[in-house]
Amino acid sequence: MKKNWETPELEV
Amino acid sequence: MNQAVALDQAYQQVEGNLVSDMNGEKVMLSIASSKYYNLGQVGGAIWEKLQSPATVHEVVAQLTEEYDIDREACEQQVVRFLESLLKEGLVKAV
Repeated sequence: MKKNWETPELEV
Repeated sequence: MNQAVALDQAYQQVEGNLVSDMNGEKVMLSIASSKYYNLGQVGGAIWEKLQSPATVHEVVAQLTEEYDIDREACEQQVVRFLESLLKEGLVKAV
């Protein structure tokens, strides 16, 4: 079972 | 302007950042800039893969094994994320 993907974002 | 990320260029973490896990998300303090960052869950996974030098291709190959995402979309998003890390001086090309 693959994990759910979330768009990676770098938040300052 | 964002720095260009090459798919076959290896990138690695820059030393001097304190990283903590907060509710599954990675939070980082840059000692150099005194800035706090939230990398999120997937961003944290990408960050971990850059402990040693890795190319975009290598990172994407690992992520598509672990996450429900197709290679092309994953590659585009990893490149954008790496551009952000480069801009902030958190990773370097090696």
